[in-house]
Amino acid sequence: MQDVVIETRKLTKIYKRDEFEVVALKEADFTLRRGDFVALMGPSGSGKSTLLHLAAAMDKPTSGSIRVLGEDIAALRDREIAAWRNRHVGFVFQSFNLIPVLTAHENVELPLKLMRMTRQQREEHSRTALELVGLGDRVGHFPRQLSGGQEQRVAIARAIVTDPDLILADEPTGNLDANSAQEVLTLLRRLNEEFGKTVVIVTHDPHAARFARGIRYIEKGELLPEGATPEDWTPATPFAVTTPGNPKSSAQA
Amino acid sequence: MQFVSLILKNSLRNRRRTLLTIASVALSFCLLGVLLALYNALFFSEAKDEQALRLVTRHKVSLTLVMPKYYDQRIQQVSGVAAVLPTMWYGGAYRDARDQRNFFPRFACDPARLFDVYTDFVIDPEQKQAFIRDRRGALVGKTLADKFGWKLGERITLVGDIFPGELELYLRGIFEHPTDDEVLYFPFEYLYEGLPSGRRDFVGTFVILAKSPEDVPKVSADIDELFRNSPVPTRTETEKAFALSFLSFLGNVKVFLLALCGAVTFTILLVSANTMAMSIRERYREVGVLKTLGFTQRAVMGLLLGEAAAIAMLGGALGLGLASFLCVGIRSLPAFVQETKTLAVEPQVALFCMMFAAFMGIASALIPALGASRASIVDALRFTD
Repeated sequence: MQDVVIETRKLTKIYKRDEFEVVALKEADFTLRRGDFVALMGPSGSGKSTLLHLAAAMDKPTSGSIRVLGEDIAALRDREIAAWRNRHVGFVFQSFNLIPVLTAHENVELPLKLMRMTRQQREEHSRTALELVGLGDRVGHFPRQLSGGQEQRVAIARAIVTDPDLILADEPTGNLDANSAQEVLTLLRRLNEEFGKTVVIVTHDPHAARFARGIRYIEKGELLPEGATPEDWTPATPFAVTTPGNPKSSAQA
Repeated sequence: MQFVSLILKNSLRNRRRTLLTIASVALSFCLLGVLLALYNALFFSEAKDEQALRLVTRHKVSLTLVMPKYYDQRIQQVSGVAAVLPTMWYGGAYRDARDQRNFFPRFACDPARLFDVYTDFVIDPEQKQAFIRDRRGALVGKTLADKFGWKLGERITLVGDIFPGELELYLRGIFEHPTDDEVLYFPFEYLYEGLPSGRRDFVGTFVILAKSPEDVPKVSADIDELFRNSPVPTRTETEKAFALSFLSFLGNVKVFLLALCGAVTFTILLVSANTMAMSIRERYREVGVLKTLGFTQRAVMGLLLGEAAAIAMLGGALGLGLASFLCVGIRSLPAFVQETKTLAVEPQVALFCMMFAAFMGIASALIPALGASRASIVDALRFTD
């Protein structure tokens, strides 16, 4: 079993929008070990979600390398990535992103339909996942019949139903009130502590970050060294918006 | 198969829009179904057994021109001919000629030979004999008798237009036939009574019964060859082709029907494409979610195209149901060609329509579905409508 779950070296992501290039992540070196629970913190647009998307193989890096669970995911073909993501990564969105026409059970069951499982097995797994997040009595409810906190717990159940090694959560409490946020964060910590899941959450909420066992900061596309805080940090190069004709031109984002 | 429920649930996500789309597709397919049923009946349906054996000989130049009566004997001698029936279109008027509902075909014929050619007429033997014996007797199809409420012994008065005078006919027999039963026959003998001798020696058409289906083409060619160099050349064709020749009075019906089908098809495609484009655009973000869960581009395409096909096929099935009802209505209308008397959405037409509905659904969603399924997850998740 791989001890290192995520390993990036000089990972860079540049988005091209019309004539502009935006450096979202710059030469990030990041290592995450099995069983870690890390919060990625930083202001909006700092590049933390980009790192999460790259780790989930939802996006391709511009340069640098990224290995997740020992797999060079940048080298995988689209079809292989889809299957790999289905089996190894559970992703939790800020806005839950449940399918509104499906019940809680059907939403949770959805990733299992891509696996070779009988209907009965799928139902068992789905029920177990929903019970784990405390919604065993809401299996037949549609998203509109659930509170925000409950919706996010269903989303977490959907993320863990395939028993992934890695759970990535992008601002999982961003749309929740304080009580619901507390429940969701407690649940994520429980998944880490009791079930040994490796968890990365992206947040800009210090309270949410305290539930993690470690915090890494990203400022203007640069991942700060382990243990460093934004107060200690001076950017190596300014966070840049460049045009192809004038690559040196820069503007503070 | 395990995504069928998701496809169906997605289809009904915006119920009002889906139902309106289904309704518009259904109406279009109703029209398409009827048009294709008509096209199939006119140009693809096989003639019934007896009908396949019957031929009609007419003047080569025009149906309105007559042929010498003595052709009868010469046609009988053609190899492969089982029976011949000379007939004459009477025309005339029943009740008020201006009312189209009073129109029906009326033929003078030789009653004794009528049943030799129309072997598929079902009639009570006593009525048959009564018709043959009575020089003022009339024989009508059951549908026609029912339409006017005629009973045996009924007096039917026809006022001549092509021919002079009036005919006072008495209904002696009512026959049954699945298609050709809105017609009246009466004896030549009675018609000729009022005609000068010069007009008695001509007939309008010869209905011929061939001995076997293999004889049909040969009989047709031989008869026309027989009179090729005579002052009155003939044209012999199958009964079905003869009936269809009436359609040519309306113009190129084939092209007309196909043009209508094309217009309907194009309209359905636009309606469906518009709906699917909106529907897919609304769920662009959801495509990103599905791909995050592990759905491949192909699986996403399958879901979106499956949904479009489901809506189109549902509309298509509903439309074909409506078309079937419409065909029942058309069958009860006065028949311009006999094929419309049995007009129905045949299984092959229904199958074609359903396959076309699926194709049309897929075609209408192809471009937006391709765009959505190819989108990167990050772009899809960022999408706001």
